[in-house]
Amino acid sequence: MTDTARDLSTVLLLSGNEAIARGAWEAGVHLGSGYPGTPSSEILPALKDLGDAYVEWSVNEKVALEVAAGASIAGARTLTTTKHVGLNVAADPLFTLSYTGVEGGMVIAVADDPSMHSSQNEQDSRNYARAAKVPMLQPADSQEARDMTMRAYEISERFDTPVLVGVVTRICHSDGIVEVAPREDVELRGDLEKQPEKFVMVPGHARKARVVMAERMKKLVAFAEETDLTREEMGGRSLGIIAGGTAYTYAREAFPEASFLKLGLVWPLPPERILAFAEKVDRLFVVEELDPFLTEQISALGVDVEEVDDRFRIGELLPGRVREMITGEAPPETDADADLPPRPPTLCAGCPHRSVFAALRKLKAYVTGDIGCYTLGTLPPLEALHTCLCMGGGVSEAHGIQKVRGHEAPVVAVIGDSTFTHTGVAGLINIAYNAGVSTIVIMDNRTTAMTGGQVHPGVGVTLSGMPGRELDFVKLAEAVGIEHVTVVDPYEVAETEQALREAMDTAEPSVVITRHPCILEVEERHPAPALEIDACIHCAQCIRIGCPALSNAAAEGDKPLPAIDTVLCTGCLMCAQVCPVDALQVPEDGEGDE
Amino acid sequence: MMVENVLLTGVGGQGIITASTILSQACRLAGWSVKKSEVHGMSQRGGSVDSHVRLSADEQIASPLIPEGGATVMLAFEPLEGLRQIRRTAPDATVLIEKRIIVPVTVNLPGFSYPENLFDRLTASGRNITLLAAAEKAIELGEPRAGNSVLLGALATQIDLPEQAWWDAMELVLKPHTLEINRRAFDAGYEMMA
Repeated sequence: MTDTARDLSTVLLLSGNEAIARGAWEAGVHLGSGYPGTPSSEILPALKDLGDAYVEWSVNEKVALEVAAGASIAGARTLTTTKHVGLNVAADPLFTLSYTGVEGGMVIAVADDPSMHSSQNEQDSRNYARAAKVPMLQPADSQEARDMTMRAYEISERFDTPVLVGVVTRICHSDGIVEVAPREDVELRGDLEKQPEKFVMVPGHARKARVVMAERMKKLVAFAEETDLTREEMGGRSLGIIAGGTAYTYAREAFPEASFLKLGLVWPLPPERILAFAEKVDRLFVVEELDPFLTEQISALGVDVEEVDDRFRIGELLPGRVREMITGEAPPETDADADLPPRPPTLCAGCPHRSVFAALRKLKAYVTGDIGCYTLGTLPPLEALHTCLCMGGGVSEAHGIQKVRGHEAPVVAVIGDSTFTHTGVAGLINIAYNAGVSTIVIMDNRTTAMTGGQVHPGVGVTLSGMPGRELDFVKLAEAVGIEHVTVVDPYEVAETEQALREAMDTAEPSVVITRHPCILEVEERHPAPALEIDACIHCAQCIRIGCPALSNAAAEGDKPLPAIDTVLCTGCLMCAQVCPVDALQVPEDGEGDE
Repeated sequence: MMVENVLLTGVGGQGIITASTILSQACRLAGWSVKKSEVHGMSQRGGSVDSHVRLSADEQIASPLIPEGGATVMLAFEPLEGLRQIRRTAPDATVLIEKRIIVPVTVNLPGFSYPENLFDRLTASGRNITLLAAAEKAIELGEPRAGNSVLLGALATQIDLPEQAWWDAMELVLKPHTLEINRRAFDAGYEMMA
């Protein structure tokens, strides 16, 4: 390392995700658990890299939170990570963990995705803090993400409650300068004493716990009134703004001269501080991303909060949007001209999912989809995925469709290997149990691709890089009662189509496993095909599989003609296999040259 | 110094996030304030990618995102993406654009084509535009994947960071065996702007 770098060894450039991991690590966290989900996915790998704690990818968020619950009961400090929709999956344990409380400090980092950069909905996790009656901290940058995560452990242990650290995409995936410190070694608390009144939530115990929770909330409000996690920043008195998290940073940028009540603890709120702040300013705005969560609470205190148009409740804020919200003055138009061709994300060149969608399109299947890269199969020109609801949802949707439309309805569910282990497996058991007939395609690319290539049970390797018991999808399908199970390599286009056709034709539930590693994980390269122009019949079958390495750039007028980008092409030869006249062939001298 | 708002834009896989990380680390090493923001996940996979880097030698930075129309410098790794983001830059912004075109798959669909008058439209924006043959230069240097370092070198002429901070940042971020070629590419980009 250079001299300049050495002087800066305690001043790091960290993403919000890395900073959360850093804060947990410095606070002596013993166990981290979670399931990958943008924008939260990088927290646990960062914690693993720091060392000292046990860290795992659990099969889903509910399991992750329960693993953490066990560790907390055993006296450990725990960190569980999830994206907003993952907290829906973990909501069941969350709500009752609020009753049991903790032994070791328990922190849940939940990452929302305003504007839905990589999500199926835009929910505001602050509502969970209120509904589950647990405190939530909301950092505004990487430094605060580290600091508040550390503080969250103190709050958790002091008030005997799980604590939410609420972040958004622009915290998780923003880098900033963070001052760090060494790890504090923390002993496991207690002695794993049996405390049934605390940890067995039968009605008799829960009714008592419910009263304790109400007392706890009063204490948390008192804490909110005095904590330095929330601060008053007095500037000019004409405009006062109450805000936390990213909304604070945008408002600060837009109104550097205004007065702020900057909330670090966004649940519960400090009524006295809010009333006192409101007294000091002429006009009071509450600036927040997504739901009017703070606005409703603050208005309920009798504070005169200025009205904000509902359109500011949708999508991310920005400094100019905050200015418009308050002054009505619109920011400069930043949208591009409508005629520019969009560049949406696509299935990669060489993606093994492509041929599956091409075949399903040919078979005119109604495809119930799921969450992952393969959701992109809905985009033109493939247009071969017709629903996407939630993790595991497509499997059960297929069953529902066929229960009312019969086996004649050409329904196929597609689900990724990681998503299948997350929640798809329950839907498969349900199909077998309830005499379903659906065809379920497990698109097994040996990774959790969309979120950046995390391992999962089907891969047989754990987050720490150790061998784990590999989940055998074939045996699993057979064990739940599916008799028609086939495994194909989607690089074999005709075989894949045949396997799908047979499965759809079978009047019993079926599973087709299309297995080929993700092209981003293995960097598989084969020689690219070349076009024999004279043989081409301009049918555009190759172009219609939607490969980014194959464009229609060579077309003359309305006569399609493929052009192959040999840098992008991985030589998967799906295009060659769909060509009805074998016009796309690997040149002789290219063979064997992999 | 005011806050410099640098917008990097291009196509997923072009090394935009690596370039913005080097820029941000260089700021840290120089003792500056910096915030960098981008989107992962669905937005990669060959889609449009942008990265906001806000930096200052003496001011604290609040928002992680560049205010609307507030980019003071834009580095576009592909011309169409440059045009797509041009209104996010200030009217007097310095805009550096790679010349090499990457055709989006959507032009295979009815209703879309790669805009033919793209460079005229960029000029008509009134921004201070420089077109760069960085990809060509990288090929000339023997490493086609070093195009992003050529562009970063060009960007370095617009930001008053000490040279050593750039070198140290590259050493922190890049794999050791790629350091030498990327430094040569960076130098070549710097000289392009001379």
